[in-house]
Amino acid sequence: MWLVFSKEIKELLRDRKTLFFMIALPILVFPLIFGGMAYFTTQAFAKAENKVLKYGVVNSQYSAQISAEFSASELFEQVNIDANDDYAELIKNDRVDFVIVLPDNDGADILTSGQLAINLYLNDAGLNLIYNRVNSIIEKYAIQYQQAAFAHLNVSPDQQVALLKPIVLSKVSTADQRESWGEKIGGMLPYLLFILCFQGAMFPATDIAAGEKERGTLETLLISPIDRTKIVLGKFLTIACAGATTALITVLSMAIWGLVLSRGFAMQFVADFMSQIGVLDFVLMFLMLIPLVAIFASVLLSISIYARSFKEAQSYMGPLVIMVIIPVMVALLPGVELKGGWAWVPLTNVALAMKELVKGTMDYFQLIAIFGSTALIALLLLGFCVYWFKQEKVLFR
Amino acid sequence: MIEIVGLGKKFSVENPKKLSEQERKDPRLKGRFFHSVVDVSFACQPGQVLGLLGPNGAGKTTTLRMLSTALKPDTGSVHINGTDVLQNPIVARKKIGFLSGSTGLYGRLTGRENIEYFAKLHGISQAQFVARIDELADLLDMHTFLDRRSENFSTGMKQKIAIARAVVHQPEVVILDEPTTGLDIMATQTVLSFIRGLKKQGIPVIFSTHHLDEVSELCDCVTVIDQGVSKFNGSLSDFSQLADGSLHQAFLASIK
Repeated sequence: MWLVFSKEIKELLRDRKTLFFMIALPILVFPLIFGGMAYFTTQAFAKAENKVLKYGVVNSQYSAQISAEFSASELFEQVNIDANDDYAELIKNDRVDFVIVLPDNDGADILTSGQLAINLYLNDAGLNLIYNRVNSIIEKYAIQYQQAAFAHLNVSPDQQVALLKPIVLSKVSTADQRESWGEKIGGMLPYLLFILCFQGAMFPATDIAAGEKERGTLETLLISPIDRTKIVLGKFLTIACAGATTALITVLSMAIWGLVLSRGFAMQFVADFMSQIGVLDFVLMFLMLIPLVAIFASVLLSISIYARSFKEAQSYMGPLVIMVIIPVMVALLPGVELKGGWAWVPLTNVALAMKELVKGTMDYFQLIAIFGSTALIALLLLGFCVYWFKQEKVLFR
Repeated sequence: MIEIVGLGKKFSVENPKKLSEQERKDPRLKGRFFHSVVDVSFACQPGQVLGLLGPNGAGKTTTLRMLSTALKPDTGSVHINGTDVLQNPIVARKKIGFLSGSTGLYGRLTGRENIEYFAKLHGISQAQFVARIDELADLLDMHTFLDRRSENFSTGMKQKIAIARAVVHQPEVVILDEPTTGLDIMATQTVLSFIRGLKKQGIPVIFSTHHLDEVSELCDCVTVIDQGVSKFNGSLSDFSQLADGSLHQAFLASIK
């Protein structure tokens, strides 16, 4: 068995394509995702912030101060429009970026004029900072008018606060920072881990049995004086190892790059959050991956040995990814918790347990159900794989 | 010596609708089973080369796969130097060397590693292997490419490694399934010289082929299989006398 295993690992380590998917991709993918997202978002915001916006204004004569502020700004360029124009059409044809319709009365004295209603017409589908940029000018006058009204009415600062918001309802969450963030991050973690484990196991699995059939090496291996169970176990271990290694590298890469980037961008809370999750929780998460990977490896090896060629194996394995995603999605549904029956549902229970571990609210007694059900299924599937590998109709299809 | 008596093997037909017209007319199709090999018997003595002939689909590959223990026969017996192959396939596999024209190599391993893997599977120690690989490299002239990755090997190089791999454990019987199919002239010569070498060492060799010139050059005896039954068993001279010395005519006469 170890002989088959060591030979398979040697072959695996010499395959650049597999190494790329197993090691390089998980290491590179996170800085690329984090870095890329940060770069493009910053670029897009900077562009939206500094773009000179073309605008049309209606009723400028009534709010002369506000109109003058827009005209004076270098970041706005006025386009003459008629009040009866179709604003949507103007925006669609790129003649203006927005149209601001000011109220048809002089509004500096709000006690006389009442609330001023300004309409801002814009295409708000994509990223744009039009509202914020316009609001920053309008807001200045809103505060100014408000202060003037308060002064006129002789309202003290305390009364002003009470008038503006008579009752304040404050939400005080008893969940600590770890629990509330763990709910969000912990839900996504198994999704990522399951997929990566599966992908990492899929590449060697295709090569290890279907590839042997296609290359014509399987028959020679079958007539070697080694029990077929040992051949299966050797190949199974290789696939399982590859899956677990990919998952491990991914988690480490995620943790390291998360820390590096959080330091770089001074995201102290990420660093704090990571330090709250204990070593035991990390170890348990990894231990739970072992029977999970065993399930993946048995299924993938059974498919691979059945397929006549590399291509056939890949076409069977592709749709299986959905079977991996569904149990994780179930775990994300509201109301599905690591209690009672759910603790025995394979894959879903592992996903739920990972979330609990990240949140720090794990009921460690549930581990019996999780390990029990997952290991039992893994063993049954491995047994099937051994049986499958001994079937002539499968080996010599 | 290797002795085969009354060998038979049937395969269940999963979907009879998928069978070709020719397969449906084959008398070996009985109900949901296709009797690929019905009754095959022959024997090969030490130092003899036995040529296994037959049309495509006659059951040659199935017979050889049963001899190599890759497939389990439904009926019959196979004895190699007194050992019942069917009773103890793992022990029998140590006595057999098997090679076919379509045998491949592990491309990401070197030639030496390919041979070493199978040597170890046969339980050969590292010291024994080192001595044996030198011997085989001399014999098959493999020194120049033995330590290169086999994915870029020429057909001839691949076949030399495959031969060395098949005999690294010094088998008592060598079985070759169409070993020259798809090979160029040089690679074919390598295989033929290898068979001559085995013959000199007194190792029985069974090989299936469609090339009658190879049969006349190497074989001592001939077995013809048609529709899963051995139709002729005898020496090469008896075979050629079936049709006045022409092997092609003799072959056609034997399957009539």
